[in-house]
Amino acid sequence: MEDLVGGWWDKLIRRTAYRGYPQAAVALADIEKQAPLFFRAMGGDPALTLRTAVGTAHGARRRLLERIAGTGEQVELAWRDGQSLYLPEKIDLFPDAARNRELYFWLMALAAQPQHSDDGDWLTRNRRASAACLAAMPGLAALYRRLVTALLPLRDTPRDAAAAAQEAAIRAALQQPEAAIALPPCRTPPQPVLLWLHPTPPTAPTAGADDKQTPEMEDSDSKETKKKRRYRARRDTADERKNGMLLVFRAESIFTWDEYVRVNRHTDDDDMDDAGAAAEDMNTLTISRDNRRRASRLKFDLDLPAAAYDDTPLGSGILLPEWDYRRQRLVAEHCCLKPMLPRDATPAPLPDKLQPLARRLRRQFQALSPERTRKSGEASGPDIDLDRLIRFLAEKRSGVAVAEPPLYQAWPPGGRNMACLLLADLSLSTESWLGEAGQVIGVIRDSLLLFAEALSACGDDFGLYGFSSIRRDEVRYLLLKDFAERYDDTTRGRILALRPGYYTRMGAAIRQSTRILLEQPAQRRLLLIVSDGKPNDLDHYEGRYGVEDTRQAVLEAKRAGLIPFCVTVDKEAGEYLPHLFGRRGYSVVHDARRLPQVLTGLYASLTA
Amino acid sequence: MNAPVHAKLASQLPFYQPVADECTVFETAWRQQLPVLIKGPTGCGKTRFVAHMAAKLGLPLFTVSCHDDLSAADLVGRHLIAGGDTRWCDGPLTRAVREGGICYLDEVVEARKDTTVVLHPLTDDRRILPIERTGEELQAPPGFMLVVSFNPGYQHVLKTLKPSTRQRFVALSFDFPLPEVERAVVQHEGGVDERLAAQLVTLAGQIRRLTGYDLDEAVSTRLLVYCAKLIASGMGVRLACRTALVEPLSDEADTLAALMAVVDTQFGA
Ligand SMILES: Nc1ncnc2c1ncn2[C@@H]1O[C@H](COP(=O)(O)OP(=O)(O)O)[C@@H](O)[C@H]1O
Ligand SMILES: [Mg+2]
Repeated sequence: MEDLVGGWWDKLIRRTAYRGYPQAAVALADIEKQAPLFFRAMGGDPALTLRTAVGTAHGARRRLLERIAGTGEQVELAWRDGQSLYLPEKIDLFPDAARNRELYFWLMALAAQPQHSDDGDWLTRNRRASAACLAAMPGLAALYRRLVTALLPLRDTPRDAAAAAQEAAIRAALQQPEAAIALPPCRTPPQPVLLWLHPTPPTAPTAGADDKQTPEMEDSDSKETKKKRRYRARRDTADERKNGMLLVFRAESIFTWDEYVRVNRHTDDDDMDDAGAAAEDMNTLTISRDNRRRASRLKFDLDLPAAAYDDTPLGSGILLPEWDYRRQRLVAEHCCLKPMLPRDATPAPLPDKLQPLARRLRRQFQALSPERTRKSGEASGPDIDLDRLIRFLAEKRSGVAVAEPPLYQAWPPGGRNMACLLLADLSLSTESWLGEAGQVIGVIRDSLLLFAEALSACGDDFGLYGFSSIRRDEVRYLLLKDFAERYDDTTRGRILALRPGYYTRMGAAIRQSTRILLEQPAQRRLLLIVSDGKPNDLDHYEGRYGVEDTRQAVLEAKRAGLIPFCVTVDKEAGEYLPHLFGRRGYSVVHDARRLPQVLTGLYASLTA
Repeated sequence: MNAPVHAKLASQLPFYQPVADECTVFETAWRQQLPVLIKGPTGCGKTRFVAHMAAKLGLPLFTVSCHDDLSAADLVGRHLIAGGDTRWCDGPLTRAVREGGICYLDEVVEARKDTTVVLHPLTDDRRILPIERTGEELQAPPGFMLVVSFNPGYQHVLKTLKPSTRQRFVALSFDFPLPEVERAVVQHEGGVDERLAAQLVTLAGQIRRLTGYDLDEAVSTRLLVYCAKLIASGMGVRLACRTALVEPLSDEADTLAALMAVVDTQFGA
């Protein structure tokens, strides 16, 4: 009974004390699809990923009721560092959902402003960035003023004189960001300002700390389960400017979205059992990397599971050359490429979740085919080409001797006369995690399926292959659908059975694809490569060597009359892809989840 | 498509706001009898530039928009039946050569490769146009100039100029003009005030940051001018932006919504 009453009491207090309007809450998930585009349009660095911010403890005086209830100490603020833009997971500051939503957009615009190292303290930085936004964007200025008007009544007026002066300065800066206002000194930290960016953004631990973790990570599975490494984030302002340090910490993910909270919310973590520590932990921000993947990769390097979970090999292998850039020559029979079928593939229909998009794509691609297949000026055909006939008769009458030109219209089979081989990178890096959307490999599977749906609809010839490698003697070349096969449940089943493989010996895979594509009779032959990173392999096939070999393979394909094109989800691709494919020979997909749409859209525009 | 625009008085020059030294380059090339290739995204002012230069140099202009059905006869000419008789009719290229004017082939990569081959003898120092069907061989007069344009986006990897064709032209690269220049263009062409033109140009700058990420093609100066015209004719600003700047760029609901959020940073209430 007592317990029950206690529970009620507790809930009642919490509800009263909670400073937010949950019924008007807007979640980051509600705007996530628009956020990256908006942030980039505001001038934000396109390389940044978007993450939810972890609750940040603030030290300002709380209302008495809040102190009793123990709430009100966590607040989610927005900030940005060298890697990511962090936004609150949800905003329920205002009673009006429209304001809460607008606050997200305001924070993105603010965070997109360039940071200057000489911008002074927290208040000055935010004030200046706000002023810059308002000056450049009248519409945003109107939105901002709505937010400030709604915010001011929600803020406390401290009784302590110094704190009150501090609060007055903040209010003034909110109302007139263009006026030079300074933050008066005060012992208590100011109340958080949700319209501004984080005063002391959590910083990542140093590179050294990370290095120390690495050996531990490798050694045992039990350690691996404790993959949520903890780091005490330092809270000193001096570190803010060293955000360049964070580069060491580049997330290995390649996505614009990452469920940060999933790995970082840790208030009820197992090994944190005493209350004192838990309280202290409120002041600590954990920055954890998903070390598991790396660990398993390292392990994998050390004791290679020789054909452990192997796919089904088809024949003994094909010997292919490789380019040695140091010797500037092609080394014959250097690689052994092994065609394979994915293991455990059973015929399967297109997954339900892909049906709507597949239907849409089929409609679009059907529309591509008929009007393009009509050819005029054919030597024979079902229709007379009237234009040409009239022209010819007129010329004949003029007395000039002209040979009879082809005068028919036809719909020759093969329609657009286009063949496309899609080659997908299935290296281990495609195992990496993509937030809610699953793994890269999942996106690649979906993309292959939808691409095939679309191409079947327009009738172009196509083949689907995947590859990975373990040194030069095992370039694994997975057959998903060859040009002669129909795209049906068998081929779908193979695609669905794809798993991340090993490394990325791209040159050999491109050479084999070139050979296959050259056997196709089509006039235009497109070699489309879907990749997620640089070429690499366990031996010397990395860095310059891998890049140069791949470049040679691409050049060979071009010389043979094929059109190689690369679609990548690697944001750093700009550094090496121009060298491999030429400046216009590739496209970077910044939001990997959109790969299926981008890939099919690209195909349509490339071949239009 | 092939109506000549004859020389106009200086006061009637088609409005063109120079971006860099393209006018001088063009004029020098013309004096030296060199063909010119203009590269640039669609709607950045290539056509307008050529019209302006033609008028400035007092040359008739023959413009051909290329497409994949364009044949050599469409350029050179053909026999027509008239009153039971046949009559030879010059194509735009031939007329430009005869009259010593500018022949402008817009989006030349769209034309079939066998069509562009007729240009070759005109683009080297012989400057001749053989007309197979009449047996004539025209020598281009000094005034004649060949100008071609194309849009080198990645969407066009399957369609580029053959190096052998490309290497016959001196080339100018166009892009969207600097903000001040573009503002002047939007203001003049769209008939809006300076402040609104400046806002539209700022907005375009924001949207262009998305090119290659969220959007395939950048929003063009042409679309900005359209948008300004809609506003000048009384349409609400947000609706004009939606119609002229947002909808033409994408079909994806999320992208459209996000673009409207960007529009609202300028024109939101
Ligand atoms: N520098 C400029 N000076 C004047 N008008 C321009 C300029 N750049 C673009 N425009 C405007 O943009 C419109 C589209 O330009 P246009 O020449 O048709 O583009 P393109 O030929 O490059 O596709 C023109 O009608 C004109 O209104
Ligand atoms: Mg044009």
